Amino acid sequence: MKRVFLVDDHELFRSGVRGELAGSVDVVGEAGSVSEAVPLILELDPDVVLLDVHLPDGGGEAVIARVAPERPGVKFLALSVSDAAEDVVGVIRAGARGYVTKTISRDDLAAAVERVAAGDAVFSPRLAGFVLDAFRDGEPIGDAELDELTPREREVLQLIARGYRYKEIAARLHLSTKTVEAHVSSVLRKLQLTSRHELSRWAHERRLI
Amino acid sequence: MIPVPQLFHRSTEQRVVAGVCGGLGERLAVDPNLVRLVFSVLALAGGAGIFLYLALWVHADRRHDWLSAALVACAGAALLFTLGFSGPAVLGATLILAGLAVVLVRGGSIRQGGTLPVPGIALLLAGAVVFLSHSGATGSFVAPGAIAGALVLVVGPWLWRLTAERNERIRLQERAAVAARVHDSVLQTLALVQRHADDPGRIAALARRQERELRRWLYGSFSDASTVMGALDDAADDVERLHGVAIEIASAGDAPLDDRAGELVLAAREAMTNAAKFAGVSEIAVYAEAGPDALAIFVRDRGSGFDRDAVDPSRRGIAESIEGRMARVGGAATIVSAPGEGTEVVLRLPQKVAP
Repeated sequence: MKRVFLVDDHELFRSGVRGELAGSVDVVGEAGSVSEAVPLILELDPDVVLLDVHLPDGGGEAVIARVAPERPGVKFLALSVSDAAEDVVGVIRAGARGYVTKTISRDDLAAAVERVAAGDAVFSPRLAGFVLDAFRDGEPIGDAELDELTPREREVLQLIARGYRYKEIAARLHLSTKTVEAHVSSVLRKLQLTSRHELSRWAHERRLI
Repeated sequence: MIPVPQLFHRSTEQRVVAGVCGGLGERLAVDPNLVRLVFSVLALAGGAGIFLYLALWVHADRRHDWLSAALVACAGAALLFTLGFSGPAVLGATLILAGLAVVLVRGGSIRQGGTLPVPGIALLLAGAVVFLSHSGATGSFVAPGAIAGALVLVVGPWLWRLTAERNERIRLQERAAVAARVHDSVLQTLALVQRHADDPGRIAALARRQERELRRWLYGSFSDASTVMGALDDAADDVERLHGVAIEIASAGDAPLDDRAGELVLAAREAMTNAAKFAGVSEIAVYAEAGPDALAIFVRDRGSGFDRDAVDPSRRGIAESIEGRMARVGGAATIVSAPGEGTEVVLRLPQKVAP
């Protein structure tokens, strides 16, 4: 069973997730803030950290920034109610391997944890939409390889946005599930590395009121 | 004599002698201590400050305008005498006094939201410039540097207060807006939840609706119905409410809502309604994309699915409201479904009508 650490400032939400995941993963610890979470994660060395985007003292990005250099093996999966594209993309760029919304079903969440633990990326339909939006048209400004999605990656992301699961996408595009996963991981890498100005323009447009 | 309107009221809180400086300070929104400083400096000028104080005291109590006028004249005379009757200095002093009078009579306010007494301030500044550039020649009053310093003392805190007051006001307005919003939405929903505590379906629907509304407000996404995504979000909201399903919308890009796009959204609404009514699922996934050449909306459910050929031709929902509607605006609808495999309705609308 995968060892999971929960970081969320809402006690009620943590106990809800703990209850739901009981039996499918091993919840080894939890914390409600960045300062609480960092030493515990370093000590417990879990497989996956389920990470809220918004935390009282810094947010999910701060946890990743302080844990990742010392525990490169720990994977992060962002879990949030936030709809703000720049929040979600921010935590992904900081190093999270995926993003799911808090309304995700129990089975989907357990599957997402497994997938992230195995080193794959997990995109919710909403995140896929954000990413397609960020990489929409326009010329690449720096490294073309990083600044553009391949037609295949675009196709895969579009199907994720439409609510298809990896297995269904594989069947539809006549690929193996592994290949679909490879495409999603590649998009994740581009999202983390691109310096595309579109990203900032787009984040700016969607900025909070 | 023309009656002068009441310029200010003596202060009861900021009171040292008669509350004149305090009252002026409140009226001009400056620290009363600065007003007192100005009066003290003026008092050194042959007692002009004292005469002026008495004049304003008389005026504030609405007694004998002629007495006020006489006292002001005494103050002016004392000041001019001290200045050695230097022509430009007299002109400057007159301008300053006229400026002050205009500021007070015109009833402008330097407080946030008040009308700025521009002519009065202009006169004051012009007077100050004339006065400053010539008072050095008389040498008998105050060095120009000291006057400049006094001006900084007067204007600096005034500006600072103005900014602080404005920030405070903005903060309070924002707070009031948030409170109103929370009251109208979240608190109402919580009250409804308590009333329907025995109906889980109803509670889930209420929570869902509240969530959508709060999201819109917080993140400003889909904030109005003048765009395709905004209209689609509204449509999804209606379908959720009418049929008790959850609709997850993902989107990339947006476009203005013209007549054709309006038809596209209506077709999508029909597809969502069908999924909610016939698929037997609690969740529907919708993805909308505004690309450079086309708008596309995908409505997908994992429900019972159906065999298109087995649908009774008299049921007009799909043929008319979805396919017919899309065809009329130069778009296309594709429906992929099979029993047990769910349904996906794909709606595409090219940006320009094909010739």
